[in-house]
Amino acid sequence: MAGNKKINKRDIGKLLNEWNQGFTVFVPSREDKVTAFAKWDGVNISFMEWHRNTVIPPKTNFFPLMEEMFSFREEEDGYHTELPSSDKHKQLIFGIRPCDAKALSILDMAFKEGYEDPYYLSGRKDSLLVALGCTNPYDSCFCASLGGGPFDSTYVDIMLIDIGDELLIEEVTNAGRELIARTAGLEKVTEVDEARAKEVKKSSYNKVTRKINTEGIQKKLQACFEDKDFWEKVSAKCLSCGICTFLCPTCYCFDINDDSFKKQGARFRSWDSCAFPIYTRMPMENPRSEKWRRVRQRVCHKYEFFPTDFDVIACVGCGRCIRQCPVNWDITEILNNLPAKA
Amino acid sequence: MEQKLRQEAKALLEQDKVDYIIGYEKGSLKFTTTPLITKDKNDVDRLVVNPLIVNNLSVFLTEIRGRIGIVAKGCDSRSIISLIQDNKVSREDVVIIGVPCSGIIDLCKVERLVGEERDELDDVTREGDKVAIVVDGRRREFPIEEVLFDNCLGCKFPTPQEYDVLLGEATSPVSEMTASRARIAELEGMSSQERWNFWKGEFNRCIRCYACRNVCPACFCERCFVEETEPQWVSPIPKWQDNLMFQVTRNIHVAGRCTDCGECERACPMNIPLRSMARKMYETVEELFHYEAGLDKAAPSLLTAYESVEAEDLIR
Repeated sequence: MAGNKKINKRDIGKLLNEWNQGFTVFVPSREDKVTAFAKWDGVNISFMEWHRNTVIPPKTNFFPLMEEMFSFREEEDGYHTELPSSDKHKQLIFGIRPCDAKALSILDMAFKEGYEDPYYLSGRKDSLLVALGCTNPYDSCFCASLGGGPFDSTYVDIMLIDIGDELLIEEVTNAGRELIARTAGLEKVTEVDEARAKEVKKSSYNKVTRKINTEGIQKKLQACFEDKDFWEKVSAKCLSCGICTFLCPTCYCFDINDDSFKKQGARFRSWDSCAFPIYTRMPMENPRSEKWRRVRQRVCHKYEFFPTDFDVIACVGCGRCIRQCPVNWDITEILNNLPAKA
Repeated sequence: MEQKLRQEAKALLEQDKVDYIIGYEKGSLKFTTTPLITKDKNDVDRLVVNPLIVNNLSVFLTEIRGRIGIVAKGCDSRSIISLIQDNKVSREDVVIIGVPCSGIIDLCKVERLVGEERDELDDVTREGDKVAIVVDGRRREFPIEEVLFDNCLGCKFPTPQEYDVLLGEATSPVSEMTASRARIAELEGMSSQERWNFWKGEFNRCIRCYACRNVCPACFCERCFVEETEPQWVSPIPKWQDNLMFQVTRNIHVAGRCTDCGECERACPMNIPLRSMARKMYETVEELFHYEAGLDKAAPSLLTAYESVEAEDLIR
């Protein structure tokens, strides 16, 4: 694309310092013993050496593990509530992977359509996603099977392509274009750079070797929904822990609890998981007391129910659920081995 | 060893001595293995035994109904004995296929040693008291002390303590306990304030996925105390104080049942050094009660028995 710009990698610190004026910049970080997106410290750019997805997905930037919804206190005239301070900064997520950006577009649907979730949306609406394409996907990655890919720019504002010593900058949205337009110190790209970028994209795409076949997946899942033997067999080794759902960039279930002492406290929401036997026990019962039903729910929610409601599979192929699972339960193996129509 | 395992497993199913076989098969990612739970004799040819069989499979015994043939390493066999002591498993219902274990390779240590993630490794093989790692065609050897899981170093019972079939010869400990408890010694060297701050930092990361609990064979309660609501012992909101409270209470509940298999720490996606806490409890139990979990299936389990002569200095 004509007009693209580029930046030398060693100048990334300067660039982020500039962007840090208008935004709070988050970057992939390995500082706190687990990889996650953390506020940039203004100095460290070692994340440039590491083009892979974090253990903790960037959904936490908009839908954190726990979040205060409001505080309350009881006084003589009754209860008083107060919303938490809404000094949410505009977030710029630098180095987000295309899969995680797509995942945010899926969360947007869940938190916007039907009802509008002010907690999620207030942080999300002014955020900017500056993606760094994956030149070295994990062997757990299967984004290419879900319409995405290591350089899919559909859901990002700016896409960065590693062309060696430099990053080629593709402006994708108006917000991205505007940011680049007012950013100093960027160079124009040459035809050689463009050709190099094209080559990088292609070779990276070919590195995503894990595949699933999503053709007719909804119908296939409908057909085996009642196949208890199949689901029992594939769920046998599942431990019913919350890793796959909590670390999933598209899982959005939460529980609500009060933290109170004497006459005051706060209401929090925190991640919940359909893998837990006690899921939804608070309002009534868990209709999925048996493990195979819970495993089926997780697969079907992503590949059958969500597409029915929103026309998109609620899985982006980031592979965290495979990689982090203590028993290596692999959703791609399940999807590739669904029983032929009964 | 694998051939013998497959033969044994097939025979157990064919002769209707068990309903299920629980073992390991090759995983879907590089250098991983995954539990294989099957009723089908055609699946047993997928069974493997190698230095990457991380899981303690006894966790499945309390869930799966029926007679089970199970592959067990030293620590796993002790978890099974402990479950027998607690009447959670009947000895007659399990056929234990024992694997003498000379330690399991910790891929996180491997990654740190070579500075590459597991995806980049060409090969990882155990060769005597060394582990050979090949990256980009370049082979490097490391002493096992640097590569095995902490709990495997200094493991006193590498040979299964209870079995029906033993695959191979009994084996002896791979190294001294010193390396195994290096991190614990570090924690012991801290002041109580330093230690408090350390655990505060660690439990700040806890996401309450409960993998540590669910992977633990000793955590067999049908309803965990964290899920009680009347009274609510621990808040479900994952603040560090409650996360810590959960783990401390869990450790007390598994005292005398924990065999130091290390699964809690391995499963933790947040890299919280849970085994340090579990191992310290293990040693405390040993010191106070001269008891180690899962060594005698006929003995009462530690927390269900009391002798008037024991542990006068328990309360101090």
